[in-house]
Amino acid sequence: MSAQEHDYKASGSLAGAWKIAAGVGAVGIGGALAMGAGDPKRFAFSYLFAFAAFLTLAVGATFFVLIQHVTSAAWSVTTRRIAEFFMSALPVFALLFVPVALHVDDLYGSWANHEAHGAAHAPAGEHAAPHGEHAAPAEHGAEHAAPTEHGTEHAAPHHEAGGEEPRGFLSQEEIEHLAHTEVITAKSGYLNKGFFFLRVAIYFALWILVSTRLFRNSTSQDASRDHEWTRRSQGMAPWAISVMALSTTFAAFDWYMSLLPSWYSTIFGVYHFAASMSGFFAFFTLTVMWLRKNGQLGEAVTVEHFHDLGKLTFGFNAFWAYIAFSQFFLIWYAGIPEEAEFYHMRWSDGPWKVVSASLAILHFVVPFVLLMSRNVKRNLSGLAAGAALIFVMHIVEMYWLVMPNYAHAMNIPAGNDHALSISPLDLLSFLGVGGVFFAAVLFRMSKHPLVALGDPRFERSRHFENA
Amino acid sequence: MADATNKPLTRVGPEGGTPVLLLAEYDTPAAVMHAAEKVRDAGFTRWDVHTPFPVHGMDKAMGLPDSRLGWIVATMALIGFSTAVSLITWANVVSYPFIVGGKPAFSIPSYAPVCFELTVLLSAFGAVFGMFGLNKLPRHHHAVFESDRFRAVTDDKFFVSVEYADPKFDDVRTRELLESTKPNHIEIVEDNES
Repeated sequence: MSAQEHDYKASGSLAGAWKIAAGVGAVGIGGALAMGAGDPKRFAFSYLFAFAAFLTLAVGATFFVLIQHVTSAAWSVTTRRIAEFFMSALPVFALLFVPVALHVDDLYGSWANHEAHGAAHAPAGEHAAPHGEHAAPAEHGAEHAAPTEHGTEHAAPHHEAGGEEPRGFLSQEEIEHLAHTEVITAKSGYLNKGFFFLRVAIYFALWILVSTRLFRNSTSQDASRDHEWTRRSQGMAPWAISVMALSTTFAAFDWYMSLLPSWYSTIFGVYHFAASMSGFFAFFTLTVMWLRKNGQLGEAVTVEHFHDLGKLTFGFNAFWAYIAFSQFFLIWYAGIPEEAEFYHMRWSDGPWKVVSASLAILHFVVPFVLLMSRNVKRNLSGLAAGAALIFVMHIVEMYWLVMPNYAHAMNIPAGNDHALSISPLDLLSFLGVGGVFFAAVLFRMSKHPLVALGDPRFERSRHFENA
Repeated sequence: MADATNKPLTRVGPEGGTPVLLLAEYDTPAAVMHAAEKVRDAGFTRWDVHTPFPVHGMDKAMGLPDSRLGWIVATMALIGFSTAVSLITWANVVSYPFIVGGKPAFSIPSYAPVCFELTVLLSAFGAVFGMFGLNKLPRHHHAVFESDRFRAVTDDKFFVSVEYADPKFDDVRTRELLESTKPNHIEIVEDNES
C-alpha cells in the first residue's frame, strides 16, 4: 500500500557518503602506518583499540539481526536493515585485522615470543622458566631488575623483600617471575602463534559465512518478496547464534584477554558480548535517528520503534553494568594476584582510576537514571542524549580495555602518571578503522533500500505500537 | 442488532437488587474501541472496558492517564537503596568494624550486591502491592459477574460497563449513547447494596 510511495533508496548526500568515509579511512590508516613505523609498539596498541571499538559494533549488529530472526520479531522489521548494513561490514574486519596480525609480537610478545623456548623446554617443568625469560628480556627483565627506577608502591615491597633475602636461593622477584612464566608455559598449548592464527582464520570464516548469508537473504527479498528468504534466515539463526556466541567469546580471549596472558576471567566472553551489545544499541539508535531526521526512512520508523530501541539500549546497558561489575567484584573480593593484575593496572591511584570511575558513572549510573523513564525513551532528544553518552563511553571502554596493556608492555608501573598517554596514533587509527568500516556500511546503504521492504511483516512493523 | 430504544432492557442480578451498571456487549476489538472513545468523549469517569486480551491503543481510547505505579516503584526503590546503604554502613563501619580479606571497613564494592538486592526486592513489592492497591484488590465481588453473558469476556466478546454512580449518568441518555455505538446487546446489571 503506502509502503510503495517511498522507495527507501539512499538519497542526496547519503548516496555518495561512502567516498568521504573511504577518504577518511585511507588518510587515517595511511597516517597511522606512516607515523607508526617509528613506534610499532604504540601503533599496534592504538590500532587494536580502534579495531575493537568498531568490531564490537558489527558483532553487536549481527547478534541483533540473529535475535530478531530467532524470535521472529515483527516490530523491528523497519529498522532491521540498518543493523544488517553494520553486520555486512563484518568481512571487512578480516582485512582490517592484517595490521594486528603483523604486530603480533608487539601486542602479545609475552606469550608469542615465549612459545619457542617455553614449548621446547616444557617437559623440564620449572626449569623451562629461566630459558623462557631470555625470550622476552625486555618484558620481564626490566620490570624486575630495576624496580627502583619507577619507584611505585607495588614494586617497592618486592624490592624490600628481595633486599632482605630471607628465602635462600631465590629472591621474591625470581619466585614471582617463575610463577608467571610457569602460568604462560602451561597455556602455551593454546597460546601459540600457529594455533592463534588458525583460530583467527576460523573466526573470520564463520563471521563471513553468517553475515553474508543473512545479508543476502534479506536483500534478495527486496525485489522478490519471497517468504522463503525469511524462512531461511529463521532456519539458520539458532545455529548461527551459537556459532557467533562461541567464536566472539574465543576471539575476545585471544585478542584482548591474552594481552595479559597470566590473567584470566571466565566471564570475559560474556563481558565482551555485553559491551558489544550496549555499544551497538546506542550507536544503532543514533544512526536510525540520523537517517530518519534526514528523511531517508519516510514514515517507516516511528516513535514506537525508538521506544523499543530505547528499552533495548537501557536493558543491555544495565546488563553490561551487571556483568562488568560481576567480573570486577569477584576478582576484588578474592584478591588473588594474577587475577587482580587486570584491575591493579586500572584501579591503582592514577589516571586509569579516573577512567575506570568514569565508566561506572557515565557508562552506567547517568544513562541508567536518564533512560529509565518511558517518557524520556519516547522523547527523541532525551533518547539521543542517553544513547550518545553510552556510545562515547563504549569507545572509552575499549580504550580502557586495551591501552593499560601498552603501559604494562612499556614497563610503566600501574598508577604512574605516564601509564595513560594519549597519542595521535590513537586518533589516526580510530579514524582509519572507523573510516573503512563506515565506507563499507555506507557503500552498502547506497546499493540497497534502507529498510527490509520485502519482509512479509513490513506493514505490521510500520504500524507497530507499544502496549 | 441494537434493541429498540423504548423496549425495556434486560435486567440481571439478585432478587431485590438495585441497578448499578449498564453493560454493552461487542463482537470485535474495533467496535469496543470506538465505543470506548465515545464514552470517553462524553466525559464519563466511572466506567470500564473488558476484553479477553490486551487491546493496543485502548489506554488512549479510554483516555486513561499514565499509571502512577512507576512513582510507587521508584519510591520503594529509593527506600530499598537507602535502607541497604544505612544497614551496611551501620553494621560494617559503625557497630562492628571487622576487616575481612584485607578490605577496609568502608568498601563501596561490597555494598553493591546488598543495595541491588534490597532495591529490587522493595521495587518488586512496590510493583505488586502497588498494583493491588491501585486496582483496589483483592475484591471478592463485582456486580459485573451477575451477568451470564459477561462470561464470554474470557472467550470472544468485548464489553463496556458504565456505572450508575457516575456523575454524568442518566437513565435515558447513557443508554442512547451506548446504543449509538451499535452493541450486540445491552443489559442492566443489578446488585444488592454493599
